[in-house]
Amino acid sequence: MQKLGDFKLPHFFNYPPYFTLQPVRDTRNKQVQLWKELILDYCRTQKIFVVGLEEDFPLFSNPVVERSLSHEAREAFLSALVSEGRAEWLDKGHRKCLILWHRIQEWADIILSFVKDNGLEDSVMTVEEIRSGTESRGTELHGIDRTILIRALRLLEQKGKLAIFKGTSTDDEGVKFSL
Amino acid sequence: MRRRPGIGGLQNAATARDQYRLLGENVAKIRTDLMKEQLATFRSQLEEFARKHKNDIRKNPAFRSQFHEMCAKVGVDPLASNKGFWAELLGIGDFYYELGVQIVDICLATRPHNGGLINLQELCNVLRQRRKSDRGAVSEDDCLRAISKLKALGSGFEVISVGKKKLVRSVPTELNKDHNEILELAQAQGFVTVDEVERQFSWTSGRAIDALDTLLDEGLAMIDDGHRDGRRRYWFPCVSSIATSVADI
Repeated sequence: MQKLGDFKLPHFFNYPPYFTLQPVRDTRNKQVQLWKELILDYCRTQKIFVVGLEEDFPLFSNPVVERSLSHEAREAFLSALVSEGRAEWLDKGHRKCLILWHRIQEWADIILSFVKDNGLEDSVMTVEEIRSGTESRGTELHGIDRTILIRALRLLEQKGKLAIFKGTSTDDEGVKFSL
Repeated sequence: MRRRPGIGGLQNAATARDQYRLLGENVAKIRTDLMKEQLATFRSQLEEFARKHKNDIRKNPAFRSQFHEMCAKVGVDPLASNKGFWAELLGIGDFYYELGVQIVDICLATRPHNGGLINLQELCNVLRQRRKSDRGAVSEDDCLRAISKLKALGSGFEVISVGKKKLVRSVPTELNKDHNEILELAQAQGFVTVDEVERQFSWTSGRAIDALDTLLDEGLAMIDDGHRDGRRRYWFPCVSSIATSVADI
């Protein structure tokens, strides 16, 4: 079976018609379903948070069968993810897409258990620290997309679990946990 | 025979008739008894055979198919009823019912993908993968038998031959001759183009497109516009094995 790095590609990836948007509704639904799962799976294992429609995203073309997805097809598959809350467009032109293999709520839960595991219930951390500090090393939070992290933190702020405060520069927003 | 008049003659004729009848009945009775005896012997022999080779019948698909053939020749259907000594003896009925259920399952699971038409070989492969942990192998012959039992449900399961391949149909789509010919042509490469169909069968463009559109609508075909030459290809998941191995079945 074909592989991308250590990622095992599904069989349909080598079947050329899956790279053409299908005109018949039932067939198209199945096609969209398979692509949605593939994109989520791939992004989760490879820790990819943002997919650019015009970039060389490895899933968008398969040199083995010499097929690549049209712009229309890329947008259709990502839009299907967006409509399920598993992705969000980052711009109006639909050129960049944020992939949420964990929903924001799930990321918030991950942050909470990270805080508890590390005894940080009353501590202060910067956003950058959560993303790349020593505490988060080896957890799912390590290397998390900044936009997603902020969104999850804001969700927790609404619930009164923490407070976000501005530092002197935009890069070091601070977070005060209060669990 | 010379006509013999008188009472005596009539009586003689009546006695003769009676005697013939008696004799006839006797002969018939002897024959029936003989037949009954033979049948009983045969039955006990068959039982004996089945008992002796129970394990082979259960585990060896080739042996099983030969056993079925033998039964068919003498007019016995071990699958006709789940009751009776065959089921008790072999559990063979259950085996095929189980297979039937699994076949229905696979056909349903792959239907969105292949439109309800699946290559028999492929079906067997998926079936084997599924029963991996299970004892005993499953042959194509077993699949065919299980499918023929499904017909009793009136659910429209049918095996159709297209070229050299056998396809199992689980949707009530009627495929006409044109469709069958296209499927047969597609077996070579897994796909066809309108040009190829026209050339191969000397059809008009309308006829080819019409048939292909129907196959598309039925979910049996998928279009592919991605090839360099710019010609639209019609792929048929039911004849190409790569596509049916959908991982999530």
